[in-house]
Amino acid sequence: MKSREQEYREIYMAEALEAYDAMSRHISELERNPQDQDALNELFRLMHNLKSNSRAMGFNSIGEVAHHMETIFGLIRSKEKEFSGSLATVLFTGVDTIGAMIRAVGDDQDLPESTALLDNLDRLVRGEEPVLDGETADEDANRKLELSDLVYIQIKKLDHLLNLVGELIIDRDRILTLSQEIGNSALQSAAAHLFRITDELQYSVMDARLVNVGTLLNKFPRVVRDVASAEQKQVELTLSGQDIQIDRNILQIITDALLHLVRNAVSHGFETPAEREKAGKPVQGQLVLSAQTERDDVLIQVTDDGRGIDVESVRRKAVERGLVSKEAARLLDDSAVRAFLFEPGFSMAKEVTEISGRGVGLDVVKLAIDSLGGQLRVESVLGEGTTFTLVLPTSIAVKGALLFELDERSYAIPLMHTDSVVSLWPDDLHVVGGLLMAEVQGENVPVVSLRRLLHNGDGPLPPATRAEVVGRQDIIIVNYNNRKLGLIVDRFLRQQNIVIKPMSKPLDIIELFGGVTLLGSGQVCLVLDVPALTRLFLARRL
Amino acid sequence: MKNRILIVDDSFYMRTMLKNMLTDAGYEVVGEAANGQQALEMAASAKPDLITLDVILPDNTGLDVLKGIRQNDPEVKVVMCSAVGQEVIVNEALESGASAYIVKPFSEEKVLEIVSSALQTAE
Repeated sequence: MKSREQEYREIYMAEALEAYDAMSRHISELERNPQDQDALNELFRLMHNLKSNSRAMGFNSIGEVAHHMETIFGLIRSKEKEFSGSLATVLFTGVDTIGAMIRAVGDDQDLPESTALLDNLDRLVRGEEPVLDGETADEDANRKLELSDLVYIQIKKLDHLLNLVGELIIDRDRILTLSQEIGNSALQSAAAHLFRITDELQYSVMDARLVNVGTLLNKFPRVVRDVASAEQKQVELTLSGQDIQIDRNILQIITDALLHLVRNAVSHGFETPAEREKAGKPVQGQLVLSAQTERDDVLIQVTDDGRGIDVESVRRKAVERGLVSKEAARLLDDSAVRAFLFEPGFSMAKEVTEISGRGVGLDVVKLAIDSLGGQLRVESVLGEGTTFTLVLPTSIAVKGALLFELDERSYAIPLMHTDSVVSLWPDDLHVVGGLLMAEVQGENVPVVSLRRLLHNGDGPLPPATRAEVVGRQDIIIVNYNNRKLGLIVDRFLRQQNIVIKPMSKPLDIIELFGGVTLLGSGQVCLVLDVPALTRLFLARRL
Repeated sequence: MKNRILIVDDSFYMRTMLKNMLTDAGYEVVGEAANGQQALEMAASAKPDLITLDVILPDNTGLDVLKGIRQNDPEVKVVMCSAVGQEVIVNEALESGASAYIVKPFSEEKVLEIVSSALQTAE
């Protein structure tokens, strides 16, 4: 849990760094034009704020430097001093020192010594000449030749680099396979080396694209405050896991989705203070925005202790909308019912919005997460609150996939949507209402022949019979939006990291496939899109 | 009835601290302004009972804002927020109708004490 102290510290740091950047800019402007009143006023104001904020945070030595600097800028403003010569030198040093101090706070290190600077600033106030020792001047001169250890790079360039690595990996796998076919040992050892190098290259490029989730999460205190004040709600936001790392583009893609979930939670998820009081809850709602890693995935959760989702009203609405029959709806468990919230258009149901306070545009959130090959889950207890969980890949480039064979062709299915793989005998399968069902880990899962699902047009699937199942069946259990589905395939091949390339036209209209990948054999392998496949199954089942 | 307060400060950090202190104490913070223009607009639209006003603002000086606010609404109480070193401005502000002043960095007790006594003189 993050305390208010931590929140203050984050806001302080963000503002202080911004102020330091602005100070550096303005003091250079002042050097070019000592009569620049705007730059002077800004420097005075920035020093003033930094002084007040630093003292409030207990960083008194930063406050002291800022206070002395403010005094001199005040004297320049009132024309008692002139920005030139040794005075300008000392002020430049002052801004540099402030930058170093702020960075030290950020890195949790001891603040740099500032006594000599303060003495010089005092001398300037008294109208004495500052003591600029030669060493300092030397240091200054040397320091200016140092380049920063950090390089800013456009994300576009990193995207290009990552694409090239993707291509390289495909060729590498091809060479690896060829070298095994040819059987030349020198070629094989060179190929093995190439394999290791490209692997390392791929991870280095992926690593270079990682940013802290905090860069996004830290924007939310402001959002929550604004929305809560507009809605007259009292909400305390707690952030955690800001240092979890994720691909920068993934963070970009989920920005709107997360904004949507947080706004929704504040506007609709939380009761009014009066309602909360009546329900015996603390008037102030608790909103938690957290990030954590789970295996190779990053989980981002939005948790509120608001009114929760009324499952029965969602169930009713799903039946009214014809998404599920009345009989089937009764059998669905709560999590399956809540999954209807993510159905396109479902969200517009006014009653749901009013009763449960949920649903506005959740399908849009879902689409963004789907596009990343991620998962969106919702858990809720009526009257107690709701948690949305975004399961995201750490990187967009390479995905773990399960390779399998169907009609002598290879296909891949992303592991993100794969729950398990099972081999079942006909006795393990039952026919219920024209569908094959299997019990997998204590849960009844519909099973369908992938061949049948992909072929035979768009009409309803023919009723399943036990007679069509002969011998042991390889079944992949996929999971999308809390719905599990078993896909019968001819044969499991292996698990492998694949680089998914978008399909070229006109194949890109076939939405069942999320893209293609090239296997080491040179064979093109279609990557199944589990969300689209699940939708197709729901549409075609009887 | 909760007393309604407008916070004027160009630092988000300061606004956040003040807002938390005042809200925790049961006041209603009706708005936060980051510059003089916003302050004048929000003072006119939100009609707060009290305004905390930073003496140094990006566009106007706090003093000009104080005069503008008092001109539009002579009833509103204004508490100036300043750091040490601005005693001259503070004195002028008190002469121009400010009720009191708070010196940064401030303690929660001090802020609440000054705000509450400034509001009491309203009745």
